[in-house]
Amino acid sequence: MSSTTEQALSVGRPFDATRARRRHGWFGGLQGSEHAWAVAFALPYTAVFLFFVIYPIGYGLWMGSSPALYQELFDDPRYMTTVINTLLYVGIGVNLKMFLAFMLSGFFIRKRWWSKFVLVLFILPWATPALPAFMSIHWFLNGQWGMLNNMLFELFGIDGPVYLNEHWTGLAANVGAYIWKTLPFWTLILLAGRMAVPTELYEAAAVDGAGGLRKFTHVTLPLMANLYFVCTLLDMVFALGDFNSTFFVSGGGPAMSTEVLATLGIRYAFTVALPNLGVAAVMSALPLLIPLVILLMRKLRMSEGQL
Amino acid sequence: MRNVSRRSAIAGSMGFAIAAPYIANAAGTTAVVWAGQGFVQEEDVAFRKTVDDYEKLSGNKIELSIMPFQALNQKAIAALTSGDVPDLIFAGAPETILPQHAWDDKLVDVSDIVEPYRSRLSETALLASTFYNKVQKRRAFYLAPVKQGCAPFHIWGSLVTKAGFTLADAPNTWDAFWNFFKPVQTSLRAKGMRKIYGMGLQITTVGPNDGNNLFQHFMNANGGAGIVTKDGTLHTDDPKVREAAIHSVEFMTNAYKEGFVPPEALSWNDADDNNAYHERLFVMDLDGTLSTELAMMKDKKAYYEEMVVMGLPNGNDGKPMPAVLGAGGGFIPKGAKNVAVAKDFMTYFMQPQVANENLKSGLGRWLPVLPQVIKDDPWWMDSSDPHRGPYVKEGVLGPSVPSFNGFNPAWGQVQAEQLWGQCHADVIKNNMTPAQAVDKAFRRMEAIFAKVVFG
Amino acid sequence: MSATISNRRKRSKLYYRVQHYAGEIACLVLGAVLVIWSLMPIYNMWMIALNKHDAIFEGGLWPEDPTLEAFRVVVTQDFWYLAQFWHQFGNSFYVGFMVSFLTLFIGSLASFTVGRLHLKNGWMLTNAALMTYVIPASFLAIPMYRIMQIYGLANNLWSVIATLTTFATPYAIFIFSQYGKSIPMELDESARIDGANPWQIYFRIYLPLMAPALVAVGTYALLLAWNEYLYNFLLLSTPGSMTVAVALAQFLNSDESPWNYMMATAIIYAIPPIVMYYGSRRYMAAGLTMGGVKG
Repeated sequence: MSSTTEQALSVGRPFDATRARRRHGWFGGLQGSEHAWAVAFALPYTAVFLFFVIYPIGYGLWMGSSPALYQELFDDPRYMTTVINTLLYVGIGVNLKMFLAFMLSGFFIRKRWWSKFVLVLFILPWATPALPAFMSIHWFLNGQWGMLNNMLFELFGIDGPVYLNEHWTGLAANVGAYIWKTLPFWTLILLAGRMAVPTELYEAAAVDGAGGLRKFTHVTLPLMANLYFVCTLLDMVFALGDFNSTFFVSGGGPAMSTEVLATLGIRYAFTVALPNLGVAAVMSALPLLIPLVILLMRKLRMSEGQL
Repeated sequence: MRNVSRRSAIAGSMGFAIAAPYIANAAGTTAVVWAGQGFVQEEDVAFRKTVDDYEKLSGNKIELSIMPFQALNQKAIAALTSGDVPDLIFAGAPETILPQHAWDDKLVDVSDIVEPYRSRLSETALLASTFYNKVQKRRAFYLAPVKQGCAPFHIWGSLVTKAGFTLADAPNTWDAFWNFFKPVQTSLRAKGMRKIYGMGLQITTVGPNDGNNLFQHFMNANGGAGIVTKDGTLHTDDPKVREAAIHSVEFMTNAYKEGFVPPEALSWNDADDNNAYHERLFVMDLDGTLSTELAMMKDKKAYYEEMVVMGLPNGNDGKPMPAVLGAGGGFIPKGAKNVAVAKDFMTYFMQPQVANENLKSGLGRWLPVLPQVIKDDPWWMDSSDPHRGPYVKEGVLGPSVPSFNGFNPAWGQVQAEQLWGQCHADVIKNNMTPAQAVDKAFRRMEAIFAKVVFG
Repeated sequence: MSATISNRRKRSKLYYRVQHYAGEIACLVLGAVLVIWSLMPIYNMWMIALNKHDAIFEGGLWPEDPTLEAFRVVVTQDFWYLAQFWHQFGNSFYVGFMVSFLTLFIGSLASFTVGRLHLKNGWMLTNAALMTYVIPASFLAIPMYRIMQIYGLANNLWSVIATLTTFATPYAIFIFSQYGKSIPMELDESARIDGANPWQIYFRIYLPLMAPALVAVGTYALLLAWNEYLYNFLLLSTPGSMTVAVALAQFLNSDESPWNYMMATAIIYAIPPIVMYYGSRRYMAAGLTMGGVKG
């Protein structure tokens, strides 16, 4: 059983004996039945991978494998705009959000009697079903009767713009909606990370006379940097595939100027009934996706080496 | 079994003038059917009843799944791409799926069951049910049509009256008809309705459907109906077509710039115009089927007194302009395990009285594909319902054209790229002239059509 | 001299107090901004849910004539889209619970064996997991549809559970591996000296210390399952096997939907994840205290 598992696990990567030996796990390595346990623990995911990942990914790659599809894609005048939008969407959406999430995790870790309640409300966007939430944002931003412009009118007596009629405000609305929906989750993850920083490290720093800023730069930052970086990479991968916020908030408008690769792909696949072209649209993000995934893989292996 | 269903088809063709007597298939097998959900509950109830009746009569079983149309669309494309298909897919507006898949030879030819109705089908329903197959190199029936729909005008008659106008005075040519609502807006604003607009022109690229549909009507009204002909050829080189497109863009963008269209219209999705209409934020629009009214049916005052449905006026040349029809019905994917029962069920469903009962139970949101049915059954023109009559008159009794999707699969992509909406945006946002915007769109259309080669 | 020292102390005390209050006020402002930011779209949803159908887009800041009618309709299944609401709710629960459970179980086992036991070549497992993300989930719809037919899982809730677990687990492995680094290896070692086998160490030491990450990832998996509708439609066919996400998507079937019912459904539907998250919050706290005990 173990040999088949190992074979299964070696898919995609050559066996590298030196690396494996250099890493140290439990003191003295695994002994006796512990090997069997270790293999048994790896089995469930191996099974999931074999049965539910390899085939679909292979099928997907096959669907988008014809070079003619990419010729067709690049001929589409919308394509370049879409690529630029995707870069902006992912670049700004993810980094801005991660920075905010990091700051907010610092805010929430300080116990205040009322911060509990803020956290309760802060989590709500994440728990709200995406589809109605994004529709609500679409309506919220309506220039004619949307709540935002109504508030502007009632509070300041001004007529707000029609946000979704402009390229930049439309794109900002999509990015904002994406941040709104996912910020709570990443804040929680970073909050959990901060909680895991042993308090004695801070105590030791305090004994050494470190102030708040130095504690932050010498304890929090180095310990959190890895998690922060990893979360950023992961969310970039997620953001590249996200079509909901663009689809429901701006709908790609005005004049298809806020379309991202994921929505373009969905349109090809299900509006024009050309699923292969849809997959190709998403695959054209591979030059961006693959480095991200490789970086993630390296990050993960490095962190194992650190233990 | 195949023989039996053919026999029922023959029976159908023999019963030419009278309703075809249905001969049940007694083999007792099961067919898997996916159907699109209706906009009103009555449509689903009606569909289930048709299925039940068929099961009782034939002894066959139908394993029915009803799902919303986007889900059906996605599921159908997944099925057709992967080869694991149901026996029958029944959809209200399958024109995004059919042309491409018929082209790729992924559908079962249903000519044998539609043929008996050929002479009685409206010309438009006939065209909307046949598609070109690239492998067989010919057109054939890939849709067994049961229903059709078109887009009428939806007007707040009460607002027109409030503005001091009478709808009966509205001119009967296209541009003039729209322009009639400009002074209505001016007058309503003077009466204190700060945010009202005259016309809900869906000049959007978000859609996905309304903008394309609207533009098609403008093209027809301006003599540009020939932009795509039955043989699937694009005629952007025809000066008449170009003139029509330029005039259409000019008319709509001017109305927008002059402030008679809600500014939002540039980024409307298909639901936004309906919401705005229900909130009485504009006086009128042109939108598909009677669903706008049926959604308000419980509000007796709005339904019976305030809302008005009108068919199309004449084109700008003074001649009657055709309604744009889409046909719905059943189609069978290749690889279906039980083609016989699927065909048998559609044979049953297409019978005039069965289809008629079904569509009537669905509140008449969809129209029969056999014009004779309208003439035989007074229900359709019954004036106790204020909206159905004008709708039927536009969709069945007047002239009509099918949407171009059936002529050439490339048209689906033209629509998905929202090239018309793009024209409006180019004029309004990018300061192009209508002629420049149209020429840009035409170049793109030609590029898309160039990829699709018949023969 | 002693007087100057106490003076300086007094001054600095005052200084710190002022600084402290200024900081607190800044935090309060930040808290208020956060609340407004988070609630705006949700408030808009409430507005729509509380309005009558024909007054949804009138554009006030509060419904003129607020009514709970939409909520009554949802709870009593008094609208055709919602005819099976509670049944679908049950299905959602089942799918959501199974996906969370399997994701946590499979993910934590994998990260434990790779990160703690250092299974030979275990890193391949985590690398393999990341491959799942090479193509976004929504584009694997067609292959997934095909594969479930092959496995005979078509129209079975387990097809959805398997798919969603597949998409959620790599993420879980990832976060667990990162988070697990903060747990000292010595804890494992001492248990090992006491004669515990790997399962016991996993169950008694690793899992409790991972509680904060488990809660976060578990809620993530739950919400992933809770909100997913494309795969629900794709893989399930009969009304009895559908979930609430499907009921929500039905409202998009028509341009003319009663949006107030949709929003009421969404609000009711959002309650269980929130309750679950707050119910399990004490585990996050437990994780915190244990983190303090470590040294």
